Amino acid sequence: MTVQPHEVVLRTTGLVKRFGSITAVDGLDLEVRRGEVVGLLGPNGAGKSTTIGMVLGLITPNAGTAEVLGRDVRVRREDALAGVGAMLEVTSFYPYLSGRDNLAAVALLRGGGALARVDPLLARLGLGPRGGSKFRTYSLGMRQRLGIASTLLADPALVILDEPANGLDPAGQREIRELIRELAGENRGVLLASHLLYEVEQVCDRVLVIKKGKLIASGTIAEVTRRGAYFEIVVDDKRRATEILRGLRIKEIRETPTGLDVVTDPGRGAELNRALASAGVYASALIPRATSLEDVFMELTETEGPSAATAS
Amino acid sequence: MLRLLRSEIYRLRRRWMPWIMLGLIFVAAFAIYFLIWASTQAQIELIRSGQAPPQGGPTIAQLQETLLIVTPERVQDFGVSVVSGFGSVMLIVFAASHVGTEFGWGTFRTLLAHGASRSGFLVSKAASLIFYALVFMTVGTAAAIAGSYTVSSLAGLPVGTGVDVAEVARVAAKSEYTFLPYMALALAIAVWSKSAGAGIAAGLVVYFAEGLVATLLVSLNRDYAQIVNWGLSRNASALTRTASGQGGPATQDPTASTLPDPTQAAIVLAVYAVIFLALAYWRLRSRDVTVGG
Repeated sequence: MTVQPHEVVLRTTGLVKRFGSITAVDGLDLEVRRGEVVGLLGPNGAGKSTTIGMVLGLITPNAGTAEVLGRDVRVRREDALAGVGAMLEVTSFYPYLSGRDNLAAVALLRGGGALARVDPLLARLGLGPRGGSKFRTYSLGMRQRLGIASTLLADPALVILDEPANGLDPAGQREIRELIRELAGENRGVLLASHLLYEVEQVCDRVLVIKKGKLIASGTIAEVTRRGAYFEIVVDDKRRATEILRGLRIKEIRETPTGLDVVTDPGRGAELNRALASAGVYASALIPRATSLEDVFMELTETEGPSAATAS
Repeated sequence: MLRLLRSEIYRLRRRWMPWIMLGLIFVAAFAIYFLIWASTQAQIELIRSGQAPPQGGPTIAQLQETLLIVTPERVQDFGVSVVSGFGSVMLIVFAASHVGTEFGWGTFRTLLAHGASRSGFLVSKAASLIFYALVFMTVGTAAAIAGSYTVSSLAGLPVGTGVDVAEVARVAAKSEYTFLPYMALALAIAVWSKSAGAGIAAGLVVYFAEGLVATLLVSLNRDYAQIVNWGLSRNASALTRTASGQGGPATQDPTASTLPDPTQAAIVLAVYAVIFLALAYWRLRSRDVTVGG
């Protein structure tokens, strides 16, 4: 079978999950293509793990579909999951088995050439010397590494990682970031759910921000962070400057001790300066300020209700 | 499905619990022959030395007759019933643990996330349990045979025609068959409660309490047999009684004459096992698997 370079490996359409009166996921559409890392962001309880649970057929959606490589997970679950490697938020293996034996047990379940990948994967994840130790003796970081190794046993087209850097030291987190980029480089699609926004910013091509089960923003990192970009304008007559800028369809104007912070597209600096100057208000400084993904995330998720503004 | 079963057997072979249980049944089945021989021999010696007068107690002839149960010709009556007695309890515990720990460890979720199906999970668990029960009975029965020959040789008892292997296998197979619904019950409760402990408790309570209540009711009024004969214990007793001809533990049951027909008993036990497995599957199928489950 020919592998298309940007083939959609995961597509969810209108996914809904309700637990009693609580709607955990509300009409979620998402797509992951080969060769890209997609970050799934959201505060605790936003519905990230529930979404992953529905993609893996662990949780039955109330509505909508999840397709892996074009196969509906509810209809052809085993076929669909044959192309998926998933590491869940809580990494669980058999405590009485060694790391190697745990991988072998999963490999036997996976079939194909999975058994032959056990030792290379232990080495790749830095577990080679401890492969023979019982899982119950593993540190949290080693458990995470074993979980990631298990995702690659089936040579998957889609890798799902739910908080993979939990419990890892900074060096370990960097290794995992590099590994995630390598996976995308091997033409796999990666769905990464993480609280570590720095990590997401470093490795993801696109991000999806969800809140209360709804998609509130999505796009490339640049597209999403652009929505929080602003200009710091140092000006004496703040009231007059505010009046002039209000006429320019500015998203938000915040007063500061030295002037104004004007939230708008980063490319509008000259336009702002021209408008102020032509009205006789001269700014002593107009400084473009970028925002981090963390700033945008906090802004998006702290605001009540889903925002209509989606970057793409 | 086969891949899941292979993985199941792989994990089973690497777990201590099944090996410890096999060791225990081997030692228990072997040692019980020595205990019977040693205690009987001690009583005979006491009577011979005049320290224990036989008034009211067994005579030397009666004790020597008792000792004949350890001979190889009687393994199907005594040895298999010993293995069966220990085995029923141990296999109920094992069945619940075999399934319940998957929920406690969170590995059920891991297996599903790696593509296992829920029906495949249940079928592989049930198949591996039946396989393990077979190995368990084989090891226990082999230990009983070994114990019988060893003690017979030490005690100078007649070996006669030796062990009737076919009969021993037939009796052991029927005994194992009677465990299946109890194991299926323990499995089903473990699935429903996501707990090995609950499966063990429910399996053992039903195993002991239902038998006692059924015997008590039939002792009070034989008409109650019409009702309790649809339970597990009476059908298991019916099968094990005929399994060992007129020997075996059920012959000491004063209500034995009201036991159900063995064919009916076999069908009823099979129906129970299927119902318990179906209930387990129904629960597994309808459950959302979140953290811890």
